[in-house]
Amino acid sequence: MSDALEKSGLIFMKVGLHAQESIEDIVKRKQREFEETGSIFWGYGGNTCHPFSMVQPFAKEMEESGNQVLIVMQKMNSKHAAPPEIAKQYSDDGVTWQPIPKGIEVRGSRYAMVLDELRVEEFDLDLGELQVGVGPSRGRKGDQYLMGRVDKGCFLYTPQQVPTTQDEKNVTSIGLVARVKSPYAVLLKT
Amino acid sequence: MEFDLRKAINAISDVVQNRPAPIREFDQIYMKVADMVIQAEYVARVFDNKDVVFVGDGDGIALSAAHLKAQDVINYGPKSITLLDFDERIVNSVRRFGEKLRPKIEVSAYLYNVAEALPPEHFGAYDGFHINPPWGASNDGESVIAFFERGGQATKAKSLGIVVIADDPDLPWTQEVLRDTQNRALELGYVVSELLPQLHFYHLDDAPDLRSCSCLFRRIDPDRMHKTSQPLEPARLDNFYGKNNPLRFRYVRERITLNPDRESEQLYRLEKLEVNNERRT
Repeated sequence: MSDALEKSGLIFMKVGLHAQESIEDIVKRKQREFEETGSIFWGYGGNTCHPFSMVQPFAKEMEESGNQVLIVMQKMNSKHAAPPEIAKQYSDDGVTWQPIPKGIEVRGSRYAMVLDELRVEEFDLDLGELQVGVGPSRGRKGDQYLMGRVDKGCFLYTPQQVPTTQDEKNVTSIGLVARVKSPYAVLLKT
Repeated sequence: MEFDLRKAINAISDVVQNRPAPIREFDQIYMKVADMVIQAEYVARVFDNKDVVFVGDGDGIALSAAHLKAQDVINYGPKSITLLDFDERIVNSVRRFGEKLRPKIEVSAYLYNVAEALPPEHFGAYDGFHINPPWGASNDGESVIAFFERGGQATKAKSLGIVVIADDPDLPWTQEVLRDTQNRALELGYVVSELLPQLHFYHLDDAPDLRSCSCLFRRIDPDRMHKTSQPLEPARLDNFYGKNNPLRFRYVRERITLNPDRESEQLYRLEKLEVNNERRT
């Protein structure tokens, strides 16, 4: 991992087939959206990265300390066959709703992260060197947190104080990286 | 304590059926049913024949304690329960359910946000309080202390308070909040009378093992009681739900439907059964 990554707040997410669209097609579509609009709305679901209680407070705290927030994504096989309902409005506070910007399309998701350029970058990440950065599991190690039904979260990079062997590491391959930018994450509705 | 477990779980099941869906951004995270039975029986025992105020209660512990008594699952319980909650869906659901319990126990519910001063009719009015507030993972327990102060203001000089907060020895923040809450309780004239550690589990997808304790406080120094109730200072609102996660909303308002106890009609549609008339003849 680079120095920049180690100082960043990291939002880890497993990604794959979503709303009946392959991850490769999603990436191409999102890169086109960035070229046209300068932003990406990356749709997702689940409370571990709820826009108000998790992502926004985490991102604001990171930026206040002079660091950026990156989303790092692990590609995986997925069977997410939710209907591709297209969101029409978004809100960064739950009260004021605005039309989804022209040129951006988010399918089959309750929430979206707001991203800068989406880059294909491949590197290994030891989940044991991550620590949950916000919410009720704050302080829990990443490899313990990302078990069972949990597939995403907001983390700080905290290198192991005691050297670990290869067997003790919980290494996963990252394939996609982007900077998360203000307002960081939003609610969606059709 | 001795009671029929099946009757108790079925009584709590009635309460669960009555609850609106939780809203996660406000830390409405519901307790698991078996633990609700334990907590409701405990509340009924501690507050037997007392007037109790619940400052927030998405879980439905107030109704559970009342319903256990009304259904004769247990022969003790509060004389009355009053709920103060900022979620109109919860207030209305408690009022609807409470009407059915009225012959045996007085149940009332009012809209109230802890950011605001306690209305005068509730100041110093009750024998005990119960809170299960946002647990303050990233705000040094600020939300817990705000709810505690409101509970203290709502109760009489000789009173008890039950505080349900996170308790996991592997998560340092939970122990720090527990310590800070006890420190503040001492300043407010309370002592810890009883602590049931790591007692309840919750429907919390990212922390399914996180438990809460039930801490019983007894007021021993009425001279430290607040003489008035004031709105929370703006600085205390800034990190109310966690660092950089302020208290922004006064109330959650209920959208009125004709079927408040049924599935929203927006979430399903009906498809007609096509009958083959030829086969009937």
